[in-house]
Amino acid sequence: MSVAPSKTSRFGLMLLQFGLCIVILLPFFWMVSVSLKPAAEPFAIPARLWPDNPTLENYVTAFRPEFRTYFFNSVVVSLSTVVITVTLALFAAYSFTRTQMRAISVLMVLVIVAQMFPASAIIIPIYKMMKSANLLNTYTSLILAYVTVTLPVAIWMLRGFLTRLPVALEEAAAIDGAGPFKIFFLIILPLCKPGIVATSVFVLIVTWQEFLFALSFTSTKDMRTLPVGMNDFIGQYGIRYGELMASSVLISVPVIAIFFLLQRQFVAGLTAGAVKG
Amino acid sequence: MLKRDRWLTWIFVTPAVLLVAVMMYYPMIGTVIESFYSTSFINPTPKFVGLAVYQKIFGSADFLQIVWNSCVWTLAVVALQNVFGFFCALLLNQKLPGQGLMRSLILLPWVLPGVVAAILWRFMYDPQLGLINSFLISAGFGDQGLAWLADSSTAMAAVVIAAVWKGFPFCTIVYLAALQNVEEEQMEAARIDGAGAVRRLWHIVLPSMKEVIAINFILTTILTFNYFDMIWVLTRGGPQNSTHIFPTKIYELGFGQFRFGEAAGYGVVSIVILALLITLYFLAQGSGRKAAS
Repeated sequence: MSVAPSKTSRFGLMLLQFGLCIVILLPFFWMVSVSLKPAAEPFAIPARLWPDNPTLENYVTAFRPEFRTYFFNSVVVSLSTVVITVTLALFAAYSFTRTQMRAISVLMVLVIVAQMFPASAIIIPIYKMMKSANLLNTYTSLILAYVTVTLPVAIWMLRGFLTRLPVALEEAAAIDGAGPFKIFFLIILPLCKPGIVATSVFVLIVTWQEFLFALSFTSTKDMRTLPVGMNDFIGQYGIRYGELMASSVLISVPVIAIFFLLQRQFVAGLTAGAVKG
Repeated sequence: MLKRDRWLTWIFVTPAVLLVAVMMYYPMIGTVIESFYSTSFINPTPKFVGLAVYQKIFGSADFLQIVWNSCVWTLAVVALQNVFGFFCALLLNQKLPGQGLMRSLILLPWVLPGVVAAILWRFMYDPQLGLINSFLISAGFGDQGLAWLADSSTAMAAVVIAAVWKGFPFCTIVYLAALQNVEEEQMEAARIDGAGAVRRLWHIVLPSMKEVIAINFILTTILTFNYFDMIWVLTRGGPQNSTHIFPTKIYELGFGQFRFGEAAGYGVVSIVILALLITLYFLAQGSGRKAAS
């Protein structure tokens, strides 16, 4: 229901639109501006919105070895989580949407309901499990935790896509003699690609920024992920905002880039579940 | 997958179901059991104490403050995110130049990693270097910056604003998608009948979006109630507990002081309160429906 507004109200709306733009972008602009400010240039009042002599020196200092370690850890943990979660979720969601068995439908509801469990309320028993399995401070502990907490949402998102695929297609393939695996990999998988993309981006955004589990499960610098590493930076380099903002930009660029590349499919996937039930 | 592939159906769901059972349902029960035991840094072996942990929690001065903070934080963030998000969705649904770009830009705060957003806002609020104080001073409001996050009377409002900025784009995108599903003919008919924008909004747009709004309220309530990153990085629950909510308290007790029993007790109470909040929504929705019919 898009409406073409009258000329005066159109001007008012464009003003509002501009205001919204500022609300969204001003903090980002400030982040980039400060990251480019030379360490020697003082903060002035009124704040100078753009540094006189922009420089990349903060980025050079921010890209120190620890930062590279955190970055590497985040990439390993996030990518593994995306691959494992989406694979498991796809198998599960396919079964959930194609079965008539009651037991399976009950299980599906139980799995999807689990997305409401507060992480902070279940983290202590998980921590103890990891401890007794000698998994604390490893990639495995983080990946296991992330796969589990993202699975219910991923299944819910993929379920939305799978219910819209016509079953007749699979039945026709079965009559032609295709086995269940052939049907899954040659028919379902290609048709589900937009759903897989949307779910992967969602899981990536969630895991890339996950803080609570990473803070609790990792204890040494070589295992920290970016969000926890960033939090450590605050204490260490308290007032050196230039560097802090430069690292912030470096952390944000990968997810923002992926988001912009795939945003159309992502937004469609994200809203499909909420809007169409 | 056809009926004859029963075994395959089970094989496909097993890994996901097992993981969720072992890593979510089992710990959920574990938290309840844990809350009957007492541990501390000095006494790391769990000792069964029955309901003593709960006695201690309900008797402590912090407890009511944390319940109050959690409710204020959740209700304020949810209300502001949804109202602001809804109005932004209305705005982005108008035929204006640059809407395509706006629809992409709007999700930026939501995509930004939580810790980065928190650090960025910590910087915005900085008494000496922050953008907010700088604006206020140059606009003539005093000549000294306020320590927004260090003052217990402003800290909660400050963290709420930061969280609303981070989260409202999600509401906007959901509502924008729902707005595009509102029937064009109904709107056109109302317009011909002379219904103004406000009446169209109230009588056609809002009723047709009722379900989406309800789902989104519940979703944002759960997410906000459990949101740890923003407050932990901005204030760690301070000053004087004024921004401590359940997740930050649980983390502090469990991983800061190794009082796992008490942390688990807080966890159980937090689940109960969250369940109560959600029930309230359902009741409000139910009575709303009754009033409408």
